[in-house]
Parts: sequence; C-alpha cells; structure tokens
Amino acid sequence: MQGCNLSCIYCHNPETQKECCLCGICLETCPAKALLITDNKIIYLKDLCQFCDKCLQVCPYFSSPKYFRITAWELSNYILKYNEFLNGITFSGGECTLQTPFIIEVSKQVKNNSPLTIFLDTNGYVHQSGWELICNHVDGLMVDLKAFNSKTHHYITGVDNSLILENIKYASRQGLLYEVRTVILKGINDSQEEINNISNFIKELNNYTLFKLIPFRPYGVKHPLKDTVYPDKNHFEKLFQMAKTVLGEGVKKPLDISL
Amino acid sequence: MEKIYRIIANTNLDFKDKRHLLCLEAENSLPYVEISQQAQTYLKEGTICDLFEGNAPYRPRYILPDFLLFMKQGSEYLNISPPKNLFEAINALLIIYRFVPSITSYPVYLGQIEELLEPFLSTVSPKEAENLLRFFLINIDRTLPDAFVHMNIGPADTKVSRLILSLEKELKHSIPNLSLKYSPETPDDLALQAIDTALVTGKPYFVNHQELVNDLGKDYAIASCYNTLLIGGGSHTLVRLNLKKVAEKSNDYSDFINHKLPEATSLLVEIINARAKFIVEKAKFFETSFLAKEGLINLSKFTSMAGFFGLYEAVKQLTDLNMGKDGEAEKYALDITSHARDLMDSYTGLYCEGYCNKIGFHAQSGIDTDIGVTAGVRIKYGEEPLLYEQVNLEGKLHPYFNAGISDIYTFDPTAKENPAGLLKIIKTAMKKGIRIFALTTTDSEFVRVTGYLVKKTDIEKYHRGELLREDTVKLGADSIRNNETLKRRVFGKS
Ligand code: SF4
Ligand code: SF4
Repeated sequence: MQGCNLSCIYCHNPETQKECCLCGICLETCPAKALLITDNKIIYLKDLCQFCDKCLQVCPYFSSPKYFRITAWELSNYILKYNEFLNGITFSGGECTLQTPFIIEVSKQVKNNSPLTIFLDTNGYVHQSGWELICNHVDGLMVDLKAFNSKTHHYITGVDNSLILENIKYASRQGLLYEVRTVILKGINDSQEEINNISNFIKELNNYTLFKLIPFRPYGVKHPLKDTVYPDKNHFEKLFQMAKTVLGEGVKKPLDISL
Repeated sequence: MEKIYRIIANTNLDFKDKRHLLCLEAENSLPYVEISQQAQTYLKEGTICDLFEGNAPYRPRYILPDFLLFMKQGSEYLNISPPKNLFEAINALLIIYRFVPSITSYPVYLGQIEELLEPFLSTVSPKEAENLLRFFLINIDRTLPDAFVHMNIGPADTKVSRLILSLEKELKHSIPNLSLKYSPETPDDLALQAIDTALVTGKPYFVNHQELVNDLGKDYAIASCYNTLLIGGGSHTLVRLNLKKVAEKSNDYSDFINHKLPEATSLLVEIINARAKFIVEKAKFFETSFLAKEGLINLSKFTSMAGFFGLYEAVKQLTDLNMGKDGEAEKYALDITSHARDLMDSYTGLYCEGYCNKIGFHAQSGIDTDIGVTAGVRIKYGEEPLLYEQVNLEGKLHPYFNAGISDIYTFDPTAKENPAGLLKIIKTAMKKGIRIFALTTTDSEFVRVTGYLVKKTDIEKYHRGELLREDTVKLGADSIRNNETLKRRVFGKS
C-alpha cells in the first residue's frame, strides 16, 4: 500500500513512501513510453512496460507511477477468488496502517466470506487508539523494530521508538504479535548489546513471538547508505546465534542469505 | 549401411548410446508393422507420431513388474530366493531392474518402494538402513542413467518414504524420477517434507491418489513420465496425435469434430493396435519373457496408450481463442477433449484387457523435437493465467486422462519461505481434479522438462559437447531450446 509515515534511511522500497505529485520526470525516462499523465492522473500501461524500474529510480519524490487505486469491494472480491488456495493474506506497504479504515473494510468482507486470516506488516508507528482498532480486526502482526536504543531509532527513522514499543507490548498482550523484525545495518544497530536488548525485550513479552533478523541489502535503496558495505556474514551469524541463545527456535533469518 | 557406419564413427556418442541406436537401426531395416496407406501418410507428415519406437516392436514400451510378488517368490530365471533382510532385498531389486525391458532399455518403474522395503527395515539398525538406502539410490542413479526411471512412494506414512525423501534432498540426483501418491490420509508433515525436497530437487510429483484409485483401482503406479498404468502390467506402445495438425487440416470447428478428428483417431487406433499385435503375436514377447513366465507381469493387465497434444494450438486455430486467457476457450478445450475420449472409447484396444479393452487416454507431454506446439492439454508456456484460473481449467481436463496427465507449476524462490502455503495450493489443486502436480522453483538446480528432470549443469556440459552418462540430458537440452520450457509462468512473482 502506497504511503509511509516514516522515512528510514535504509528504506528498501522508497518508491512507496509518498503519493505521486505528477511532476512528469519519470515520463521522460521511460524507454517503453509506458507512462503518461492525463486528467491530472498518472497512467501506467503495464502491457508496454519492460520492468526496468528506471521510473522508480528517477522519481525525486519517493513515489511511483505504478500504484493504482482500488476499492475495498474490488480488493476483497479479488482475494476471495483465490480463497481456496490461500491460508490468509498480509497487508504491507509503505505503511499499510495509514489506510486503516480500508483495511478494516476489506478484513470484514473477507472474514464474512472465507476462513482466511488477515495479517499486517507494519512499522507500528500508530496512535494508540488507531492501534487498538487495528488489533480488533486482524489475526496477526509483523512489526518492525528498527532499533531498541531510542537515539539509534531516531537516527534511522526520524522518530522516537517509545510509541512503537508500547504498541508492540499491547499487540503481545492481545496474542497478535506474530513476529518482530529488525534490519541489521552495519555500524548503526549491529552491536551485540542492541540485538541482546531486542531479544530480551521479546522474551519478556510472551513465549510465541518470532524474532526475524534481516541483513541490510542495497537493492532499491536511495539513501547514501546504499554505498556502504553490508554487514559481513560472520558478524550477522554471530548476532543471529546470540539472539538464539535468548530465544531459542524463535529466531529466524531469510533463507537465502547471500551477503 | 552408411547410417550404421555414421553411428559407429560418431564421437558424440558413447558405447551405450551407439548400441541403442544400432539396435534401432537393425529393427528399422524391417518394414513398418502392417498399416494402411492413409495411416502411413499421417505418420509421415507427423500428424500422428510413434515417438520413434521403431518399425518392428519386440518389447512393450512400459513394463511395471509386480515387484511385491518378486519379493515373495524370488525368481528362478535370476536365481534369486526371496530376500530375508534389507541387504538381500536391495540386492534383489538392483538385480531385477537390469532385466526389465522398456523402450529405452532402462526400467521405467522401480516399484512402490516402501511396500517393498519397509518389511525388512527392522532387520538392520536405523543407521544401517539409511546407509543402505543411500547406496541403493546412488546405484540407481549411476547404473540406470535415464530420468524416466520412476519410483513411487505414499500415500501412507512410512519410515522408508521419509528416508527416501531426505536422501533425495541430500543427494540431489535427477534419477530416479519420484512420485508421492497423495491422499487425505497422507499426514501433513510427510507432505511438507515432500514439498521441502521438491523445492530443492523438483521431485516428488504429487499424485492424486483418490482420483486414480477411482479410475484404475488401487494397483496402479506412475511410470516413466507421468504415465498411470497397472502394476503387473504396462503399455505396449504410445502413439500420439498432434491436435494442432488435425486442426490445420480442418475447414472449421464442426469439420474438425465431425470428420477430421474421427478420421485421425481411427488411424491412431489402427497404428496402436498393429503395434500391440506385433509385440504379442509376432515378437511373442509374453511367451519369451521370464517376467511373464514367473507371473511378475500378465498380459491381462496391459494396455496401449494414445497420447494427445497440441490442444492449445488446436483451440487457437479453430476458434481464435486462447486457453487460459479467453473464458470461452475452456468450452472448446473440454469439448475437444471429451470428443477425443469418446472416439477412443468407441474402439477396441487390442490386448488392452487391463483397461477393459480400451486404449489408455494420455496427455503426452512433448518431446525434444516439438516446436510451436504445446504439451498435452496444457496452456502454452508463458501464456498461463493466474494460478487459480490455470488450476480451475486444468482440473476439468485432467479427469479425462486415465493413462497420465500432469502440469508443472513453477514458483518464485520466495515460496521456500512458505511451504504451508504450497501445501494448501496442492490440496486445493487435488480437490479441483488435478491428477499430477509437479512443482519447482526458478532457482532450482534442476529443470523439469516435459516430465523428467535434468540438471542445469549437465545441460551446460552437453552444450559444451561433453559425453554424459544420462541419455535424457540430450533430450532435455534440445527440448528446452525448442519448447521454450524456460518461459513458464512463475507463480508468486508480481
Ligand atoms: S519500469 Fe518504469 S521506466 Fe521501466 S518501462 Fe516500466 S514504466 Fe517505464
Ligand atoms: S511517479 Fe514520481 S517522477 Fe513520476 S510523475 Fe509521480 S512524482 Fe513525478
């Protein structure tokens, strides 16, 4: 889902952060003439697209010409067509909770017509009342915790993490905190202390939440961080093992770690 | 003579390849089994294709010995007494495999393996059992280098099936081909282990056990590439009909249905029956084979197979509709398929007692020389719709095919993160009528060609001109180039 309320320095999908302001820059770059602006709308002709992603790279406004509007009714019908092939669906973004009423609408329609579960992939930076509302309508949450140390968190995201920590605790009490995720950034949040703190924080919450460590990768990143070397394999493995001593089998990493 | 010399002097072939081709040349120095002028024309122009089986067949194309009986009674011909422990059991199987003929000369069926070995598992320690099975699989891979060699497991949960799955994952061999008979009684964690292995090796296939038992009874097995046949039986021959070419001969849809398809199927039956008759009456295979004499095969369980392919192009040619894209195409696809099946069922299949004297109906999944024509009744590679639409359409087509049909579903590597999701898809596909479901990922070391596996690294070796142990690598490499195998739609990718 398009739009985000944070602007993390390592953002892997920066083109999902903002709405398109129709500046027209991407139109010039597209080698396939797959983009045009008419009636104050940007139009993306998928059949012509060569999937080179040049439009995403050049957009100076952290947006994309490719996103589109869809009603809750259209989306839930689309999901329900697949009903028998799925166990559930996950909303992600951008930051999907910025469109909470939409999610709730889809969630209601899907749940009324199928046994599918609804999960959210979120940064957890949501006002308390909004967060409680969300928790009433979903079956599980995957929440990013970009750093435990509040200064580090501020450096990465531009905001303080106390609200996020509170929301994580609330979700945990509701039995909805499926997973906490942290992207490991070399020299920023990759200290043993940091990972230890997050692991212990999760351990004290409950006995079911998974902790997923993800090594930073430069793909898609626009921030100067893209030119830094990513954490080396050995160090990442060390952090992973450390988290394991606290949380046991409840720690995960991506399957294809090629650092 | 010139041709024989060229085979002998060809440096791109090794000894076993040469021997195989020389046998074929000897066979082809005889005239083709007796068929009408018109049938010969259809063969020559490629509307009907006998898959280069040879002019004067002297053994059935596919043989599925009753290995369970072999384990009980041993074999006089092979001088083997009934095995008493796992060592003897594996040794006995490795010996008999070398004596089971087929079109490629390698056995296309290795047995319902847990049924054969589980009873002996307690005769050795668990560690020994694992080592023995590893050595069994390595031996099969090295001595039967042909990816059509096919092993069956399931649907019940057994130690042997689990061991085979974990060893296959460890060994990463393209041989043997492997099928898991899957039914609601198959426990989820066995199915998940099978998925885990398939994500690495492209096998096992998931076979819709319930559907096949309904069709063939419980004594069926999967042999070669996706053929469903009776244990103790097999198929004399497989001759296939190119629906695209039949459509090209037709003035319009009604001409196709009312004249050209009936004509083509009658010639198809004629060729098939002539071949089966030759094997039984002239080559007298069943009178000379120890397998028949010792009761390990029985003519009454045999059939012949008629393969159909190019449905996608036939529908396109006749109606200008695209299967998988245009909703209306489904109606025609089903109509053609059911007509073809009815036509075939209106004839007697000679020596097809195993299939109630009918010729087995098979969706032929293509060979290396096919260009511009899609395997079986599949949707053209690269043109597949979204997964649920593909499964919905194919689920309606699969039930017509009692002698084998399948499709291969290629997933994005991220599917590895979600095996439970894959299991859900497989379960739903089975509910929708899919008979054989093969899954693979784009980053797999293996490519599943029409119905068998080839290692990507072996294909590279082949293109560099190296001589290889496995005869299917050549078939695979050429097939991938000609059939655009790598254009298959990837699921899970936006
Ligand atoms: S990815 Fe963007 S720039 Fe590239 S062809 Fe498609 S629309 Fe054009
Ligand atoms: S997507 Fe970005 S570059 Fe393209 S018109 Fe919108 S704001 Fe401009």
